[in-house]
Amino acid sequence: MSQFRIPGKGRVKHDEKVTFSFDGRRYEGLRGDTVASALLAHGIHLMGRSFKYHRPRGPVTADSAEPNALIGTSRGAGRFEPNTRATVQELREGLMCESQNRLGALSFDLGAVNDALHPLFPAGFYYKTFMWPRSFWDRLYEPVIRRAAGLGRAPSEVDPDRYASRYLHTDLLVVGGGPAGIAAALEAARAGVRVTLVDETPEMGGSLLSDPEVEIDGQAAWDWLAAALDELRARGVRLMTRTTAIGYYHQNMIGLCEKLTDHLDTLPENAPRERMWRVRATRVVLAQGALEKPLVFHGNDRPGVMLAGAAQSYLHRWGVKVGERAVIVTSHDSAWHAAFDLAEAGTKIVAIVDTRAALADELRAEARVRGIEVLAGHTVTGTRGRLRVASVTVNPVENGRVGDPRMLHCDCLLMSGGWTPSLHLFSHTKGSLQWDEASRTFLPGRMTEDCHIAGAGRGLWGYLDALSDGAEAGAAAARALGHAVEPTGFAVAHDRPGTGESHKELPTDRRSHRVRAFVDFQNDVTAKDLRLAVREGMRSIEHVKRYTTNGMATDQGKMSNINGLMIASDAVGKAPPEVGLTTFRPPYTPTSFGAFAGYKRGATFEVTRATPIDAFAEANGAVFEPVSLWRRAWYFPQGGEDMEAAVARECLATRGGVGIFDASTLGKIEVAGPDAVEFMNRMYTNPWTKLAPGRCRYGVLLGEDGYIRDDGVIGRLSDDLFHVTTTTGGAARVLNMMEDYLQTEWPDLDVWLTSTTEQWATVALNGPKAREVLDGLVEGVDISAEAMPHMSVAECRVAGFRARLFRLSFTGELGFEVNVPARHGLALWEALMEAGKPHGITPYGTETMHVLRAEKGFIIVGQDTDGTVTPDDAGLGWAIGKKKPDFVGKRSLARPDLVAGGRKQLVGLMTEDGAVKLEEGAQIVLDPDQPKPMKMVGHVTSSYRSATLGRSIAMALIEDGRAREGETVHVPMPDGVVRAKVTSTMFYDPDGERLKL
Amino acid sequence: MMTSQTHDFTADAGARVRIEALAPVARFSLRVRAAGRPVLGRALGCDLPDRVGETARAGGRVALCLGPDEWLIQAGEDEADAIARAGADAYAEAPHALVEISDREVSFRVSGPAAADLLATNCPRDLDRLAVGGATRTVFDTAQVVLWREADDAFRLDVWRSFAPHVRALLEIGQAEIAAGL
Amino acid sequence: MLLIHCPYCDQTLPEAEFAYAGEAHIARPEDPSQLSDEEWRDFLFIRSNLKGPHFERWRHVHGCARFFNAVRDTVSDRFLLTYRAGEPRPDLSTPEAAQ
Repeated sequence: MSQFRIPGKGRVKHDEKVTFSFDGRRYEGLRGDTVASALLAHGIHLMGRSFKYHRPRGPVTADSAEPNALIGTSRGAGRFEPNTRATVQELREGLMCESQNRLGALSFDLGAVNDALHPLFPAGFYYKTFMWPRSFWDRLYEPVIRRAAGLGRAPSEVDPDRYASRYLHTDLLVVGGGPAGIAAALEAARAGVRVTLVDETPEMGGSLLSDPEVEIDGQAAWDWLAAALDELRARGVRLMTRTTAIGYYHQNMIGLCEKLTDHLDTLPENAPRERMWRVRATRVVLAQGALEKPLVFHGNDRPGVMLAGAAQSYLHRWGVKVGERAVIVTSHDSAWHAAFDLAEAGTKIVAIVDTRAALADELRAEARVRGIEVLAGHTVTGTRGRLRVASVTVNPVENGRVGDPRMLHCDCLLMSGGWTPSLHLFSHTKGSLQWDEASRTFLPGRMTEDCHIAGAGRGLWGYLDALSDGAEAGAAAARALGHAVEPTGFAVAHDRPGTGESHKELPTDRRSHRVRAFVDFQNDVTAKDLRLAVREGMRSIEHVKRYTTNGMATDQGKMSNINGLMIASDAVGKAPPEVGLTTFRPPYTPTSFGAFAGYKRGATFEVTRATPIDAFAEANGAVFEPVSLWRRAWYFPQGGEDMEAAVARECLATRGGVGIFDASTLGKIEVAGPDAVEFMNRMYTNPWTKLAPGRCRYGVLLGEDGYIRDDGVIGRLSDDLFHVTTTTGGAARVLNMMEDYLQTEWPDLDVWLTSTTEQWATVALNGPKAREVLDGLVEGVDISAEAMPHMSVAECRVAGFRARLFRLSFTGELGFEVNVPARHGLALWEALMEAGKPHGITPYGTETMHVLRAEKGFIIVGQDTDGTVTPDDAGLGWAIGKKKPDFVGKRSLARPDLVAGGRKQLVGLMTEDGAVKLEEGAQIVLDPDQPKPMKMVGHVTSSYRSATLGRSIAMALIEDGRAREGETVHVPMPDGVVRAKVTSTMFYDPDGERLKL
Repeated sequence: MMTSQTHDFTADAGARVRIEALAPVARFSLRVRAAGRPVLGRALGCDLPDRVGETARAGGRVALCLGPDEWLIQAGEDEADAIARAGADAYAEAPHALVEISDREVSFRVSGPAAADLLATNCPRDLDRLAVGGATRTVFDTAQVVLWREADDAFRLDVWRSFAPHVRALLEIGQAEIAAGL
Repeated sequence: MLLIHCPYCDQTLPEAEFAYAGEAHIARPEDPSQLSDEEWRDFLFIRSNLKGPHFERWRHVHGCARFFNAVRDTVSDRFLLTYRAGEPRPDLSTPEAAQ
């Protein structure tokens, strides 16, 4: 049995040993221990080094507010986590822990030189010291500071754990499983409400776990607790432990992070490490309790100095005495009870030092019974001890004057500066805070959500008050949910109500520059830093916070914010409520990235859409590229081909014979109804009335601002039915836009829109041999040049499947697009491949498609346009139905800025040296010798090597581009200026002879 | 006392929730104004319910109201042509759009005592409010789905074909997680 | 994530099913060609950008697919009410509307 463990005491399992290591040394703890309680049981307080000064530190709390005892934990490869609070991490067999932020051994840290040099690191030192010279920042200051200051090391391996997420809908969510929360849950559950009760620790009970002497309704606290939890379970209440409410969002959405495996000796297969719950609660009860505040005095951060309430918890929950000789220093009654409990357990209480002169008689009497010396109206002016507190200096204070010092020897100093409600979640809701002068603390004020706050969370102290208030909150929630209920009362014996007062830093006789009184332990901020910030002109608490970093550490200022405010308001000379509190933000406690990511990692990081023909591409070695959410075959390398060789081969094979392309990702919308043609006339720039059934037209869609939004070939299947195609990326957007106009501007039109993108698989055949491939497979329609001219559509059968067959071309070659029901897409493809074998049919990917269309000057919306390009800019003025009275965007085409000169127009570019390919996105200038910054007149939108033409080609948007045809422009690149000639965008077969096959 | 090392392992994990890919059916998207609703109901041999989320069934055909003027018609695979013809025949009397979407979606069934838990991994809806026999369009992760409640512990998801592998992968991850008992 | 009441489904549902669609009650002019450049500019680009109750459009895109109107307080992010497309702009000063 370790020296400081009391046999049989606490809620740990004394018969179940758990071994773990800390900084390479093996230790034994008990099942139910935290790392902190297990180390304390061995008399170890020194657990880490501080952020800035590398000061030795030990745990100051027994809970999630812990700022000091931050450790790295590991359970093998990839499962290392820095900055874990030793006070929260439960022991598990084989747990490996290490201390942090030390250079060398924890007990002899070379970085502690920072502490000796502390006058060099005052508040704002980053801003002051390292301003000059600039180059020193990158090379010297920052690397040195980064190494010297900081917390744990970042893990470097991929996290192999799974993380889960879940939605939960509940009538009532109760946050906090202490007496108030349990009372609320009981009351609501008895009324028939669907209740969820969560607590961040492994056990429900809250402060009751640390106060077993209390009796509720005639039962010992722990018996009452067990019975209450049994009743909650029996009533179907969802009880969630190890579950932290990390954020409170709009309309009662609460984020819960549930830790599932960090406490387990072995990992169950496939078990997620953590689960993020997104809870929607009709009502919420916040019963988060209160946080104990430290006192601010010189040397208040030495290992062995801890909150009195924490010592009480270590004693009762874990059966651990935090020391043999304790001095209590307090401004609140609660620490007296801690002292009495420790005295019962055999710790020598050297003295209770209370800052208050007037003390309750009962407390004095209890102390006298136990033979404890009481020093009322005293302050603490310092502590000593290198790695552990060894003595404390106390002085009487009379009329504001600090009297003669007295040294008290001890191995632990237990402090309490009173309690402040845990306001974090309430603060997330933008609920207003209200200053309570009597308790000198902020209490929750006006609520913005359907929420109740109960117990110590609204400043009520003592078990009777907490239980009654919890029950009232539960009843109020139940009533709000339509249940009639009167809250039950409680009888509490041995209650521990109490009062106290709040302080700025304690009075001292030390000269001010020699005082190191810490306010924010995690960020190493002292009272002096706060006063310095105010002296240097920071008046707003928000500025003080940022200048000093007070409250900005991962503990979110749980221990430091109120003390910081007291000191800052004193320095500013205003009352605390006038200075105000900084905003608490989610998450309440540090939360892993994994919990936020949930399932969004690896293959499920994002949807990857694949076409019905994807399996062919996969099996035939295609290289893929992402296009919106789709993965599309980019090119099909053969042998050792690189991309350029594969694309050149695919292009030549298509122009010389026949190529086959998976166009299934194209958006497809069925526009049907008596007013279909009217709708098309209003949406697209083109005229549709005279388009005969069986024919197609290239359509351009504008935004109301006159800029190109989308394009595609549209076939008219009958008078009332159009088959619209959109770009791959634009499918959902275009349908949304069409629905918007139809539902809200033209609800009188009898026309309906249905997405058929995924109903059809689409295969494009292009090349002079395309018809020969198709011929034997088509039934029900004559596909000869005469019967089915370019830009036709027919319903027929292809390869035995019901099909919509288009004759169109995005390559400039004879082309067909075959649509069959998606499940037959792969079979159609394979049939076409088989039929095409004698003709050398060649599968090609999106890159070849891009090259072939660029050789013809066909645009890609989103590549050659960017949302600021009009049809005229893109050379598509011909596609505008000028006689139509109106269509979406028509009015804008007469906007003064769109008809003015100097618009960027789409043109072709040919580099003087055809072997040089321009870079897409490269900027274009007219005079390469002009001084910088040069006037840029446009940029390259598309650029390829054209195997057909044996040289590079490009398209570009250039100011007044069409008027510059024949001129030379310049493209400055890092390795020299490229000269290029402005040309037409029609690089190949400008007269369209090849379509006439 | 703490019971920190216990959790609920289920002997037969697969029994808690099953995922099945379902055979294709005939599916149509029907859009028609209120005035034409009875005409189409008669033509298709199945009433068209007028509340979003409600279904009607007749002779193996199901009509689900997805929106104020939108129904999903579902039937046996061999009925597709008959449904299309019936719609065409009624067009003059009641103009509408009846578009076959049999191949647009594929379907999964999720069933077993943990079926609702599995869906709650990625569906933000309160499934307690989805009545047996009802269905609704909603999302599963970022994929749009039509979610049918076939029984207390059985659901069906119709998912656009290209989103199906993603939805299936998420369902399987969730199934393994439920099997792990944590 | 917000909860939004769809006036067509008559259900209050998670925001993930909805998409924002800009300010409400900006009707496309009957005949845009009759508008001056300034009037057309205002129609295209000028929005109220209010602090407080804002009339705006949403679409229940992953539900009934309808566009509808809503009044949302841009300070608290609370929806004051939702109503069907085409219905007149509600008067927020009436007690029912203020609920």
